[in-house]
Amino acid sequence: MTGEVTADEAITIARGIATAIAPGSGLDAVQRSLLGEVSAALLGHMVDHGTVESLSPEEMASLLASRSPMFRHRIVHLMVLGELILRPIPPEVARRVAHYADALGVDDKFVRVARRYAQGAFGLAWVDLHRSGFAAHWESARRDQLKTDVRLADQLSPGVVDPVLETRWSAFESMPVGTLGRSLWEMYRGRGFAIPGSVGGASAYLAQHDFVHVLADYGTNLNGELEVFALIGFADPDPKGFAWLTTLVGLFETGYVADAGFFTGDLRERRLDSPAMHVRLADALARGAAIREAVGVDLLDVDFHDFATCSVDEARVALSFPPKSDRAVASGSSGAFELDGMSAIQQAYAASLAGDGRPRHESSS
Amino acid sequence: MKFCQAIRVKSDEPDRLVDLLVEWDLGQAGDDVMGYIGTRLLADRDHPGSYMILAEFAEVDGDRTAAEEAELNNQRERTEQWVRALRELVDGEPEWVHYDEYYRTGITGDRRTG
Repeated sequence: MTGEVTADEAITIARGIATAIAPGSGLDAVQRSLLGEVSAALLGHMVDHGTVESLSPEEMASLLASRSPMFRHRIVHLMVLGELILRPIPPEVARRVAHYADALGVDDKFVRVARRYAQGAFGLAWVDLHRSGFAAHWESARRDQLKTDVRLADQLSPGVVDPVLETRWSAFESMPVGTLGRSLWEMYRGRGFAIPGSVGGASAYLAQHDFVHVLADYGTNLNGELEVFALIGFADPDPKGFAWLTTLVGLFETGYVADAGFFTGDLRERRLDSPAMHVRLADALARGAAIREAVGVDLLDVDFHDFATCSVDEARVALSFPPKSDRAVASGSSGAFELDGMSAIQQAYAASLAGDGRPRHESSS
Repeated sequence: MKFCQAIRVKSDEPDRLVDLLVEWDLGQAGDDVMGYIGTRLLADRDHPGSYMILAEFAEVDGDRTAAEEAELNNQRERTEQWVRALRELVDGEPEWVHYDEYYRTGITGDRRTG
Protein backbone atom coordinates (compact mmCIF):
# COMPACT_ATOMS: atom_id res chain seq x y z
CA MET A 1 0.00 0.00 0.00
CA THR A 2 2.73 2.43 1.02
CA GLY A 3 6.03 2.15 2.80
CA GLU A 4 5.11 4.97 5.13
CA VAL A 5 2.86 3.08 7.48
CA THR A 6 4.25 3.05 11.01
CA ALA A 7 4.03 0.04 13.27
CA ASP A 8 1.50 1.89 15.44
CA GLU A 9 -0.65 2.68 12.43
CA ALA A 10 -0.49 -0.90 11.21
CA ILE A 11 -1.73 -2.00 14.63
CA THR A 12 -4.53 0.57 14.48
CA ILE A 13 -5.57 -0.77 11.09
CA ALA A 14 -5.40 -4.35 12.31
CA ARG A 15 -7.50 -3.50 15.36
CA GLY A 16 -10.20 -1.93 13.23
CA ILE A 17 -10.20 -4.71 10.64
CA ALA A 18 -10.21 -7.47 13.25
CA THR A 19 -13.05 -5.86 15.18
CA ALA A 20 -15.07 -5.37 12.01
CA ILE A 21 -14.75 -8.85 10.57
CA ALA A 22 -14.68 -11.12 13.61
CA PRO A 23 -17.57 -13.58 13.77
CA GLY A 24 -19.14 -14.18 17.17
CA SER A 25 -16.58 -16.85 17.93
CA GLY A 26 -13.70 -14.50 17.13
CA LEU A 27 -11.42 -14.35 14.10
CA ASP A 28 -11.00 -17.73 12.51
CA ALA A 29 -7.57 -19.15 11.76
CA VAL A 30 -7.72 -18.34 8.05
CA GLN A 31 -8.70 -14.73 8.64
CA ARG A 32 -5.96 -14.36 11.20
CA SER A 33 -3.25 -15.87 9.04
CA LEU A 34 -4.26 -14.16 5.79
CA LEU A 35 -4.61 -10.72 7.31
CA GLY A 36 -1.31 -11.05 9.15
CA GLU A 37 0.42 -11.79 5.87
CA VAL A 38 -1.44 -9.02 4.07
CA SER A 39 -0.41 -6.56 6.76
CA ALA A 40 3.21 -7.67 6.47
CA ALA A 41 3.27 -7.46 2.68
CA LEU A 42 1.21 -4.31 2.14
CA LEU A 43 1.86 -2.27 5.26
CA GLY A 44 5.30 -3.54 6.12
CA HIS A 45 4.39 -4.81 9.57
CA MET A 46 3.30 -8.30 10.59
CA VAL A 47 0.45 -7.93 13.06
CA ASP A 48 -1.38 -10.80 14.72
CA HIS A 49 -4.98 -9.78 14.15
CA GLY A 50 -6.11 -12.36 16.67
CA THR A 51 -4.53 -10.65 19.66
CA VAL A 52 -5.12 -6.95 19.03
CA GLU A 53 -7.56 -4.90 21.10
CA SER A 54 -10.90 -3.92 19.62
CA LEU A 55 -11.35 -0.53 17.98
CA SER A 56 -14.65 1.17 17.24
CA PRO A 57 -15.49 2.56 13.79
CA GLU A 58 -15.32 6.11 15.14
CA GLU A 59 -11.95 5.56 16.80
CA MET A 60 -10.58 4.01 13.64
CA ALA A 61 -11.86 6.89 11.54
CA SER A 62 -10.30 9.38 13.93
CA LEU A 63 -6.93 7.64 13.91
CA LEU A 64 -6.91 7.46 10.10
CA ALA A 65 -8.33 10.94 9.56
CA SER A 66 -5.08 12.26 8.13
CA ARG A 67 -4.96 9.51 5.54
CA SER A 68 -6.26 10.06 2.02
CA PRO A 69 -9.71 8.83 1.03
CA MET A 70 -8.06 6.31 -1.30
CA PHE A 71 -5.91 4.93 1.49
CA ARG A 72 -8.98 4.45 3.66
CA HIS A 73 -10.75 2.88 0.71
CA ARG A 74 -7.99 0.31 0.35
CA ILE A 75 -8.23 -0.45 4.06
CA VAL A 76 -11.93 -1.09 3.63
CA HIS A 77 -11.06 -3.53 0.84
CA LEU A 78 -8.83 -5.44 3.24
CA MET A 79 -11.78 -5.59 5.61
CA VAL A 80 -14.00 -6.88 2.83
CA LEU A 81 -11.38 -9.46 1.87
CA GLY A 82 -11.35 -10.61 5.49
CA GLU A 83 -15.12 -11.13 5.49
CA LEU A 84 -15.42 -12.53 1.96
CA ILE A 85 -13.48 -15.63 2.95
CA LEU A 86 -16.06 -16.49 5.61
CA ARG A 87 -18.60 -19.11 4.63
CA PRO A 88 -21.24 -18.12 5.41
CA ILE A 89 -20.72 -14.46 6.17
CA PRO A 90 -22.63 -13.73 9.39
CA PRO A 91 -25.05 -10.86 8.69
CA GLU A 92 -23.77 -9.00 11.75
CA VAL A 93 -20.24 -9.07 10.32
CA ALA A 94 -21.43 -7.67 6.99
CA ARG A 95 -23.35 -4.93 8.79
CA ARG A 96 -20.38 -4.13 10.99
CA VAL A 97 -18.07 -3.77 8.00
CA ALA A 98 -20.60 -1.41 6.45
CA HIS A 99 -20.53 0.68 9.62
CA TYR A 100 -16.73 0.88 9.51
CA ALA A 101 -16.83 1.86 5.85
CA ASP A 102 -19.35 4.59 6.63
CA ALA A 103 -17.25 5.88 9.51
CA LEU A 104 -14.18 5.95 7.26
CA GLY A 105 -16.15 7.90 4.67
CA VAL A 106 -15.89 5.12 2.11
CA ASP A 107 -18.75 4.28 -0.25
CA ASP A 108 -17.78 0.92 -1.65
CA LYS A 109 -19.81 -1.40 -3.83
CA PHE A 110 -18.03 -4.51 -2.56
CA VAL A 111 -19.22 -3.80 0.98
CA ARG A 112 -22.69 -4.03 -0.50
CA VAL A 113 -21.88 -7.23 -2.36
CA ALA A 114 -20.70 -8.82 0.90
CA ARG A 115 -23.92 -7.75 2.60
CA ARG A 116 -25.87 -9.47 -0.14
CA TYR A 117 -23.83 -12.64 0.36
CA ALA A 118 -24.64 -12.49 4.05
CA GLN A 119 -28.34 -12.26 3.21
CA GLY A 120 -28.08 -15.27 0.95
CA ALA A 121 -28.79 -13.10 -2.08
CA PHE A 122 -26.12 -14.71 -4.23
CA GLY A 123 -27.80 -14.11 -7.55
CA LEU A 124 -28.45 -10.47 -6.80
CA ALA A 125 -24.89 -10.12 -5.47
CA TRP A 126 -23.50 -11.42 -8.75
CA VAL A 127 -25.64 -8.99 -10.75
CA ASP A 128 -24.37 -6.22 -8.46
CA LEU A 129 -20.73 -7.35 -8.68
CA HIS A 130 -20.90 -7.78 -12.44
CA ARG A 131 -22.42 -4.36 -12.99
CA SER A 132 -20.55 -2.38 -10.33
CA GLY A 133 -17.18 -4.02 -10.81
CA PHE A 134 -17.15 -4.60 -14.52
CA ALA A 135 -19.96 -3.53 -16.85
CA ALA A 136 -20.41 -0.04 -15.39
CA HIS A 137 -16.85 0.80 -16.46
CA TRP A 138 -16.95 -0.74 -19.89
CA GLU A 139 -18.36 2.16 -21.88
CA SER A 140 -15.51 4.42 -20.85
CA ALA A 141 -12.82 1.74 -20.94
CA ARG A 142 -9.91 1.84 -23.34
CA ARG A 143 -10.26 -0.79 -26.06
CA ASP A 144 -7.66 -0.06 -28.72
CA GLN A 145 -5.15 -2.22 -26.83
CA LEU A 146 -7.28 -5.26 -27.63
CA LYS A 147 -6.47 -5.14 -31.35
CA THR A 148 -9.94 -6.12 -32.42
CA ASP A 149 -12.91 -4.38 -33.92
CA VAL A 150 -15.26 -6.94 -32.44
CA ARG A 151 -17.25 -5.22 -29.75
CA LEU A 152 -17.69 -7.15 -26.53
CA ALA A 153 -20.77 -6.60 -24.38
CA ASP A 154 -18.56 -6.18 -21.31
CA GLN A 155 -15.31 -7.31 -19.75
CA LEU A 156 -16.49 -10.83 -18.97
CA SER A 157 -17.97 -11.59 -22.37
CA PRO A 158 -16.79 -14.82 -23.98
CA GLY A 159 -14.36 -14.82 -26.86
CA VAL A 160 -15.60 -14.66 -30.41
CA VAL A 161 -14.05 -15.86 -33.64
CA ASP A 162 -12.05 -12.99 -35.08
CA PRO A 163 -9.49 -13.89 -37.79
CA VAL A 164 -7.74 -10.53 -37.51
CA LEU A 165 -7.16 -11.02 -33.80
CA GLU A 166 -6.08 -14.62 -34.29
CA THR A 167 -3.53 -13.55 -36.89
CA ARG A 168 -2.19 -10.90 -34.57
CA TRP A 169 -1.71 -13.35 -31.72
CA SER A 170 -0.38 -16.12 -33.96
CA ALA A 171 2.40 -13.74 -35.04
CA PHE A 172 3.87 -14.08 -31.55
CA GLU A 173 5.19 -17.48 -32.61
CA SER A 174 7.68 -15.92 -35.01
CA MET A 175 9.12 -13.53 -32.45
CA PRO A 176 12.54 -14.28 -30.93
CA VAL A 177 12.67 -16.64 -27.98
CA GLY A 178 12.63 -14.70 -24.71
CA THR A 179 10.40 -11.91 -25.97
CA LEU A 180 7.11 -11.25 -24.26
CA GLY A 181 5.15 -12.17 -27.36
CA ARG A 182 6.99 -15.43 -27.97
CA SER A 183 6.81 -16.35 -24.28
CA LEU A 184 3.09 -15.83 -24.26
CA TRP A 185 2.73 -17.97 -27.37
CA GLU A 186 4.80 -20.70 -25.68
CA MET A 187 2.56 -20.54 -22.62
CA TYR A 188 -0.50 -20.99 -24.81
CA ARG A 189 1.07 -23.73 -26.88
CA GLY A 190 2.38 -25.58 -23.82
CA ARG A 191 -1.07 -25.77 -22.30
CA GLY A 192 -3.16 -26.24 -25.39
CA PHE A 193 -4.89 -22.89 -24.96
CA ALA A 194 -6.77 -21.67 -28.00
CA ILE A 195 -5.45 -18.41 -29.40
CA PRO A 196 -7.75 -15.39 -28.92
CA GLY A 197 -9.82 -14.93 -32.03
CA SER A 198 -9.86 -18.67 -32.76
CA VAL A 199 -12.61 -21.10 -31.80
CA GLY A 200 -12.56 -21.58 -28.03
CA GLY A 201 -10.12 -18.74 -27.42
CA ALA A 202 -10.52 -16.22 -24.62
CA SER A 203 -11.86 -12.80 -25.46
CA ALA A 204 -9.31 -10.17 -26.40
CA TYR A 205 -10.00 -8.44 -23.09
CA LEU A 206 -9.63 -11.44 -20.80
CA ALA A 207 -6.60 -12.62 -22.75
CA GLN A 208 -4.88 -9.47 -21.50
CA HIS A 209 -4.44 -11.19 -18.15
CA ASP A 210 -2.29 -13.84 -19.80
CA PHE A 211 0.39 -11.25 -20.46
CA VAL A 212 0.35 -10.71 -16.71
CA HIS A 213 0.87 -14.42 -16.11
CA VAL A 214 4.13 -14.14 -18.03
CA LEU A 215 5.23 -10.80 -16.63
CA ALA A 216 4.40 -11.63 -13.03
CA ASP A 217 5.55 -15.24 -13.50
CA TYR A 218 2.45 -16.84 -12.08
CA GLY A 219 1.14 -20.27 -12.94
CA THR A 220 -2.12 -20.98 -14.71
CA ASN A 221 -3.64 -23.34 -12.17
CA LEU A 222 -6.27 -21.94 -9.82
CA ASN A 223 -3.74 -20.78 -7.25
CA GLY A 224 -1.88 -18.97 -10.01
CA GLU A 225 -5.10 -17.37 -11.22
CA LEU A 226 -5.79 -16.12 -7.69
CA GLU A 227 -2.32 -14.57 -7.63
CA VAL A 228 -2.69 -13.01 -11.08
CA PHE A 229 -6.04 -11.42 -10.38
CA ALA A 230 -5.01 -10.27 -6.91
CA LEU A 231 -2.09 -8.47 -8.54
CA ILE A 232 -4.22 -7.05 -11.36
CA GLY A 233 -6.90 -5.93 -8.93
CA PHE A 234 -4.55 -4.13 -6.61
CA ALA A 235 -2.57 -2.61 -9.47
CA ASP A 236 -5.71 -0.86 -10.68
CA PRO A 237 -5.76 2.74 -9.45
CA ASP A 238 -9.55 2.56 -9.52
CA PRO A 239 -11.05 0.65 -6.57
CA LYS A 240 -13.17 -1.24 -9.10
CA GLY A 241 -10.17 -3.53 -9.52
CA PHE A 242 -11.18 -5.25 -6.31
CA ALA A 243 -13.94 -6.89 -8.36
CA TRP A 244 -11.40 -9.37 -9.71
CA LEU A 245 -10.39 -10.65 -6.29
CA THR A 246 -14.00 -10.68 -5.14
CA THR A 247 -14.90 -12.78 -8.15
CA LEU A 248 -12.00 -15.20 -7.89
CA VAL A 249 -12.50 -15.78 -4.15
CA GLY A 250 -16.18 -16.39 -4.86
CA LEU A 251 -15.35 -18.87 -7.61
CA PHE A 252 -12.54 -20.82 -6.03
CA GLU A 253 -12.87 -20.40 -2.28
CA THR A 254 -16.41 -19.81 -1.07
CA GLY A 255 -18.71 -20.67 -3.94
CA TYR A 256 -20.50 -17.32 -3.74
CA VAL A 257 -19.91 -16.98 -7.49
CA ALA A 258 -20.99 -20.01 -9.51
CA ASP A 259 -19.81 -18.97 -12.93
CA ALA A 260 -18.19 -15.79 -14.15
CA GLY A 261 -18.17 -16.67 -17.81
CA PHE A 262 -14.41 -16.94 -18.11
CA PHE A 263 -14.10 -19.29 -15.14
CA THR A 264 -16.49 -21.75 -13.59
CA GLY A 265 -16.54 -22.22 -9.86
CA ASP A 266 -14.31 -24.94 -8.47
CA LEU A 267 -14.49 -25.78 -4.78
CA ARG A 268 -12.82 -29.16 -4.80
CA GLU A 269 -10.06 -27.66 -2.72
CA ARG A 270 -10.27 -24.67 -0.39
CA ARG A 271 -7.52 -22.54 -1.87
CA LEU A 272 -7.12 -20.24 1.10
CA ASP A 273 -7.01 -22.90 3.79
CA SER A 274 -3.27 -23.06 3.30
CA PRO A 275 -1.04 -20.55 5.12
CA ALA A 276 1.32 -20.77 2.15
CA MET A 277 -1.40 -19.33 -0.08
CA HIS A 278 -1.82 -16.46 2.36
CA VAL A 279 1.83 -15.55 1.83
CA ARG A 280 1.43 -15.86 -1.93
CA LEU A 281 -1.79 -13.88 -2.11
CA ALA A 282 -0.41 -11.14 0.13
CA ASP A 283 2.68 -10.89 -2.04
CA ALA A 284 0.54 -10.62 -5.16
CA LEU A 285 -1.42 -7.79 -3.57
CA ALA A 286 1.79 -6.02 -2.60
CA ARG A 287 3.25 -6.41 -6.08
CA GLY A 288 0.04 -5.02 -7.52
CA ALA A 289 0.15 -2.08 -5.14
CA ALA A 290 3.76 -1.39 -6.13
CA ILE A 291 2.83 -1.40 -9.83
CA ARG A 292 -0.09 0.92 -9.10
CA GLU A 293 2.14 3.42 -7.39
CA ALA A 294 4.74 3.26 -10.15
CA VAL A 295 2.57 3.07 -13.27
CA GLY A 296 -0.92 4.03 -12.16
CA VAL A 297 -2.93 2.31 -14.88
CA ASP A 298 -5.24 -0.66 -15.00
CA LEU A 299 -3.00 -3.45 -16.33
CA LEU A 300 -5.84 -4.72 -18.50
CA ASP A 301 -5.82 -1.35 -20.25
CA VAL A 302 -2.12 -1.66 -21.14
CA ASP A 303 -1.26 -2.23 -24.78
CA PHE A 304 0.95 -5.26 -24.19
CA HIS A 305 1.39 -5.64 -27.93
CA ASP A 306 3.68 -2.60 -27.72
CA PHE A 307 5.96 -4.69 -25.53
CA ALA A 308 5.64 -7.94 -27.45
CA THR A 309 9.07 -7.67 -29.05
CA CYS A 310 10.78 -6.68 -25.79
CA SER A 311 12.40 -9.31 -23.69
CA VAL A 312 10.25 -10.35 -20.76
CA ASP A 313 12.73 -8.73 -18.40
CA GLU A 314 12.66 -5.46 -20.35
CA ALA A 315 8.87 -5.45 -20.27
CA ARG A 316 8.91 -6.10 -16.53
CA VAL A 317 11.17 -3.11 -16.00
CA ALA A 318 9.11 -0.89 -18.30
CA LEU A 319 5.91 -1.78 -16.46
CA SER A 320 7.54 -1.74 -13.01
CA PHE A 321 6.78 -5.36 -12.16
CA PRO A 322 8.66 -6.07 -8.94
CA PRO A 323 9.98 -9.59 -8.34
CA LYS A 324 8.15 -12.04 -6.13
CA SER A 325 9.18 -12.01 -2.52
CA ASP A 326 11.47 -14.79 -1.38
CA ARG A 327 8.73 -15.90 1.03
CA ALA A 328 6.20 -16.19 -1.78
CA VAL A 329 8.60 -18.34 -3.79
CA ALA A 330 9.42 -20.43 -0.72
CA SER A 331 5.68 -20.81 -0.17
CA GLY A 332 5.28 -22.45 -3.55
CA SER A 333 4.44 -19.59 -5.89
CA SER A 334 5.10 -21.32 -9.17
CA GLY A 335 6.25 -19.65 -12.35
CA ALA A 336 4.32 -19.42 -15.58
CA PHE A 337 6.48 -22.12 -17.17
CA GLU A 338 6.79 -24.50 -14.26
CA LEU A 339 4.91 -27.76 -14.17
CA ASP A 340 3.73 -26.99 -10.64
CA GLY A 341 2.04 -23.90 -11.99
CA MET A 342 -0.25 -25.94 -14.23
CA SER A 343 -3.53 -27.63 -13.49
CA ALA A 344 -3.68 -31.41 -13.78
CA ILE A 345 -5.28 -31.10 -17.21
CA GLN A 346 -2.60 -28.67 -18.35
CA GLN A 347 0.12 -30.95 -17.03
CA ALA A 348 -1.33 -33.87 -18.93
CA TYR A 349 -1.42 -31.79 -22.10
CA ALA A 350 2.16 -30.66 -21.59
CA ALA A 351 3.26 -34.26 -21.08
CA SER A 352 1.62 -35.21 -24.37
CA LEU A 353 3.71 -32.77 -26.38
CA ALA A 354 6.61 -33.88 -28.52
CA GLY A 355 10.18 -32.83 -27.78
CA ASP A 356 9.87 -29.66 -29.84
CA GLY A 357 6.92 -28.50 -27.77
CA ARG A 358 4.39 -29.15 -30.52
CA PRO A 359 1.46 -31.52 -30.42
CA ARG A 360 2.74 -34.89 -31.63
CA HIS A 361 0.56 -34.82 -34.75
CA GLU A 362 2.22 -31.53 -35.80
CA SER A 363 5.72 -32.40 -34.74
CA SER A 364 8.52 -33.24 -37.17
CA SER A 365 10.41 -35.14 -34.46
CA MET B 1 -36.05 -16.63 9.15
CA LYS B 2 -36.47 -15.81 5.49
CA PHE B 3 -39.80 -15.06 3.91
CA CYS B 4 -41.24 -15.97 0.53
CA GLN B 5 -43.97 -14.19 -1.34
CA ALA B 6 -45.56 -16.53 -3.87
CA ILE B 7 -47.54 -15.02 -6.72
CA ARG B 8 -49.55 -17.43 -8.85
CA VAL B 9 -50.52 -15.99 -12.24
CA LYS B 10 -51.94 -17.08 -15.56
CA SER B 11 -50.30 -15.61 -18.62
CA ASP B 12 -49.58 -16.36 -22.24
CA GLU B 13 -46.54 -14.10 -22.20
CA PRO B 14 -43.89 -15.91 -20.12
CA ASP B 15 -41.03 -14.19 -21.91
CA ARG B 16 -42.39 -10.82 -20.91
CA LEU B 17 -42.75 -12.07 -17.36
CA VAL B 18 -39.07 -12.96 -17.43
CA ASP B 19 -38.21 -9.55 -18.83
CA LEU B 20 -40.20 -7.92 -16.05
CA LEU B 21 -38.32 -9.87 -13.40
CA VAL B 22 -34.93 -9.21 -14.99
CA GLU B 23 -35.68 -5.51 -15.09
CA TRP B 24 -36.68 -5.64 -11.42
CA ASP B 25 -33.49 -7.48 -10.45
CA LEU B 26 -31.26 -5.06 -12.32
CA GLY B 27 -32.90 -2.19 -10.49
CA GLN B 28 -32.54 -3.92 -7.14
CA ALA B 29 -28.89 -4.84 -7.67
CA GLY B 30 -27.91 -1.23 -8.18
CA ASP B 31 -29.78 -0.05 -5.13
CA ASP B 32 -29.05 -0.18 -1.42
CA VAL B 33 -29.32 -3.53 0.28
CA MET B 34 -32.95 -4.19 1.09
CA GLY B 35 -35.04 -7.16 2.14
CA TYR B 36 -35.52 -8.54 -1.36
CA ILE B 37 -32.90 -11.21 -2.14
CA GLY B 38 -34.06 -12.80 -5.37
CA THR B 39 -36.81 -14.42 -7.31
CA ARG B 40 -37.74 -17.47 -9.35
CA LEU B 41 -40.35 -17.91 -12.04
CA LEU B 42 -41.74 -21.44 -12.28
CA ALA B 43 -44.00 -22.83 -15.00
CA ASP B 44 -46.68 -25.32 -13.96
CA ARG B 45 -46.16 -28.39 -16.15
CA ASP B 46 -49.64 -29.73 -15.40
CA HIS B 47 -51.41 -26.46 -16.09
CA PRO B 48 -49.91 -24.76 -19.15
CA GLY B 49 -50.12 -21.00 -18.86
CA SER B 50 -49.91 -21.08 -15.06
CA TYR B 51 -46.84 -19.64 -13.41
CA MET B 52 -45.55 -19.12 -9.91
CA ILE B 53 -43.32 -16.19 -9.02
CA LEU B 54 -41.39 -16.80 -5.80
CA ALA B 55 -39.95 -13.58 -4.42
CA GLU B 56 -37.67 -14.09 -1.43
CA PHE B 57 -36.81 -11.76 1.40
CA ALA B 58 -34.31 -11.71 4.26
CA GLU B 59 -33.54 -9.46 7.20
CA VAL B 60 -31.36 -6.44 6.50
CA ASP B 61 -30.29 -4.77 9.72
CA GLY B 62 -31.73 -7.13 12.27
CA ASP B 63 -34.39 -4.68 13.39
CA ARG B 64 -37.14 -6.01 11.10
CA THR B 65 -38.13 -9.54 10.20
CA ALA B 66 -37.95 -10.74 6.63
CA ALA B 67 -41.74 -10.61 6.45
CA GLU B 68 -41.67 -7.01 7.65
CA GLU B 69 -39.04 -6.22 5.02
CA ALA B 70 -41.37 -7.69 2.41
CA GLU B 71 -44.22 -5.53 3.66
CA LEU B 72 -41.96 -2.50 3.49
CA ASN B 73 -41.10 -3.49 -0.05
CA ASN B 74 -44.79 -3.73 -0.92
CA GLN B 75 -45.21 -0.09 0.05
CA ARG B 76 -42.48 1.20 -2.24
CA GLU B 77 -43.52 3.13 -5.31
CA ARG B 78 -41.23 1.01 -7.46
CA THR B 79 -43.01 -2.13 -6.28
CA GLU B 80 -46.41 -0.65 -7.00
CA GLN B 81 -45.24 0.17 -10.52
CA TRP B 82 -43.98 -3.39 -10.91
CA VAL B 83 -47.33 -4.82 -9.80
CA ARG B 84 -49.14 -2.60 -12.30
CA ALA B 85 -46.82 -3.90 -15.04
CA LEU B 86 -47.43 -7.46 -13.88
CA ARG B 87 -51.19 -7.05 -14.05
CA GLU B 88 -50.85 -6.02 -17.70
CA LEU B 89 -49.21 -9.36 -18.48
CA VAL B 90 -51.53 -11.73 -16.66
CA ASP B 91 -55.06 -12.98 -17.05
CA GLY B 92 -57.29 -12.44 -14.07
CA GLU B 93 -56.22 -11.59 -10.58
CA PRO B 94 -52.81 -12.78 -9.27
CA GLU B 95 -53.03 -15.05 -6.26
CA TRP B 96 -50.71 -14.02 -3.44
CA VAL B 97 -49.52 -16.46 -0.77
CA HIS B 98 -47.03 -15.67 1.98
CA TYR B 99 -44.64 -18.17 3.52
CA ASP B 100 -42.11 -18.13 6.34
CA GLU B 101 -39.13 -20.25 5.43
CA TYR B 102 -38.55 -23.18 7.78
CA TYR B 103 -35.71 -24.80 5.91
CA ARG B 104 -33.34 -24.15 3.02
CA THR B 105 -30.60 -26.41 1.70
CA GLY B 106 -27.16 -24.87 1.94
CA ILE B 107 -25.23 -22.43 4.02
CA THR B 108 -27.66 -19.57 4.43
CA GLY B 109 -30.57 -21.24 6.13
CA ASP B 110 -31.02 -21.28 9.88
CA ARG B 111 -29.72 -24.85 9.92
CA ARG B 112 -26.60 -25.30 7.80
CA THR B 113 -26.40 -28.15 5.37
CA GLY B 114 -23.45 -26.96 3.32
